[in-house]
Amino acid sequence: MALPLTDVVANAVMMSALYALVAIGFTLIFGVGGVLNLAHGATVTIGAFSAYYVSEVFGYSIWVGALAALLVPALFSAALYRGMIRRVEDDPITVMILTLVTAIAVEEIIKTVFGTQPAVISSLLTGQVSIAGGIQANNLLVFGLSWVIIGLLFFAINYTKTGKAILATSMSTKGASLVGIESDRMYLYTWVLAGAFAGLAGLFLGSIQTASWSMGRSPLVLSFSIVVLGGIGSIRGSVIGAYIIGFLETFTMSYVDSSLSGLASLVVLVLILLAKPEGLFGREFTE
Amino acid sequence: MSDTLTSKLNPLSLPLRQQLGLLALALLGLTPFWMGFLYAGDQGLLHIRTITIAMFIGMFAMSWDSVSGYTGQISFGHAVFFAIGGYGSALLNLGWGVPPVAAVALGTVLAAVAGLLIGVPALRLEGPYLSLVTLVAPLILLQIFIFRSDVFGGELGISNPDPLVSTSGFAQETYVFFYVAFALFVAILAVLLAVTRSDAGSVLTAIREDEDAVAASGLNPAKFKTFAFVLSASVGGLAGAVFVHTPMASPTPSQLLAQTVSIEVIIAAVLGGMGTIVGAALGGMFLSVFRSQLSNVGLTVPGLDVSVGDLDLVIFAVVTLIILFALPGGVLRWGLVAGRKLIGADSAAADGGRTPVEQTLEKFREFFRGGRDD
Repeated sequence: MALPLTDVVANAVMMSALYALVAIGFTLIFGVGGVLNLAHGATVTIGAFSAYYVSEVFGYSIWVGALAALLVPALFSAALYRGMIRRVEDDPITVMILTLVTAIAVEEIIKTVFGTQPAVISSLLTGQVSIAGGIQANNLLVFGLSWVIIGLLFFAINYTKTGKAILATSMSTKGASLVGIESDRMYLYTWVLAGAFAGLAGLFLGSIQTASWSMGRSPLVLSFSIVVLGGIGSIRGSVIGAYIIGFLETFTMSYVDSSLSGLASLVVLVLILLAKPEGLFGREFTE
Repeated sequence: MSDTLTSKLNPLSLPLRQQLGLLALALLGLTPFWMGFLYAGDQGLLHIRTITIAMFIGMFAMSWDSVSGYTGQISFGHAVFFAIGGYGSALLNLGWGVPPVAAVALGTVLAAVAGLLIGVPALRLEGPYLSLVTLVAPLILLQIFIFRSDVFGGELGISNPDPLVSTSGFAQETYVFFYVAFALFVAILAVLLAVTRSDAGSVLTAIREDEDAVAASGLNPAKFKTFAFVLSASVGGLAGAVFVHTPMASPTPSQLLAQTVSIEVIIAAVLGGMGTIVGAALGGMFLSVFRSQLSNVGLTVPGLDVSVGDLDLVIFAVVTLIILFALPGGVLRWGLVAGRKLIGADSAAADGGRTPVEQTLEKFREFFRGGRDD
């Protein structure tokens, strides 16, 4: 094949970090609140277009755009939870229909406001770095930032009081509330975190490739596979799952056929669901 | 036995609600006649075509309702069956020259096999996991269609196969295919009503209520769920196959496979009344007709430059949510209860008065609570 292996591996390593960013948010919401947020992909899109709007339309620096890509999706996510999901969070069917419809609505609105043409978001850094035969500095930065954020989250969940409270809520709502943890607030935190992560991932995706109204779909679908593979609610599982799926995805697209994007991971998803539904690091749902 | 089949089917001895239903069905069957009085010329013909398409959407909704509405196993990707029926039949017809009727039959068989393939493994999964698999199934199929665009035509679909009946002229075509659709609609309605009102239907309802209780009484829930899945898949596949052999539709992802198709069907069934078949049929037809009318409305949403027609799915979703909260049984059940109160024939409900939506939600709730609160 024409593509050198180092390029493909470098690309896979970087894209997997992005997928991990999206999947962690997805798994936080599902693991802690038990809500399957199908609007998570739309949050990715919102992040990308907030950055685009601030930097390209208003003309601010892309770093201001990055701030917007962090804040706007976090707010959107919080509003979605407070406004709609909290009222129906015990009804997974309603939640799925509602989040799916929200996703469609967001996509439609972005499509009508920004059009169907892919939008170009300027790079965070320009130039090349001579590692592994030359990588764009922007891609390296994206990779580094993603890992810094993932590391910070690890630290926050495992060592801060709030993080431990989130963990406790994910294990047992009743037990957590007995020791004075307000589960409602923990859910809100997970939604805000998930929104901010998805927004950043959207900005990164947009600056590596381009931003379009349907750009959130494939990260969402990949997140399904990653989260189920890694085990629902497990952050470590999501990161490892993201790397397995990311490599699988990049190699299929580079060496088999680019139109097969998503197919391999979907097949993995179905196989995992049938063979080992609790995933690599998941807790099994108890009766 | 005085309660013979003939007396059961004698319209005069039926309860009022069923007489009304038959009357509505008769009115639907006579659409070409009264439509001709209301609208002159081509306008009337176009409306007849709208109703023809609506009947197909109604069939899709009934197909979903027969498995998800009765057993409580929510499928988020029923479009997969419509697409396999439709594409299978069209490809057999175009590629191998199989005559349309035989192609439709084979397409239905294909869809039934797909129902078995998805249904049997999915039985091992519970609640949201089953929904995830069914959500992903159409995505995989679409991905395959795009990958092998040379066979499946990718996002654009494939060209129209031969029509089921050869006709000449726009008017004749409209009338003939209206009655093709009507015949199929009545047939599917009759079969699904017969199945769901039979003892097997009671078992399916019992599975929705409490699967353990069904297993405890010596019945195998898996067997019944598989049966419901395959029945639903074949009905959906049959409707999809016939649909592509009409001039009103062609085998394209947007008409048979897109995610919006799966969601529309759910919205339609919940709107009309989950677990009633008749409600699903009504909901599907209403949704389809309303959508096509909405797309004719030239209004745009101020400030956004979006025409109201583009937001139809969103509008329906909002209406569905309101109905989920306000009338959890759907419009049909509400109508029946209101009607009974009106004529003073209200009696106690034997199932504790819970609607299928409530029962299904309860099932899901137990699943999640079980995971969280131990």
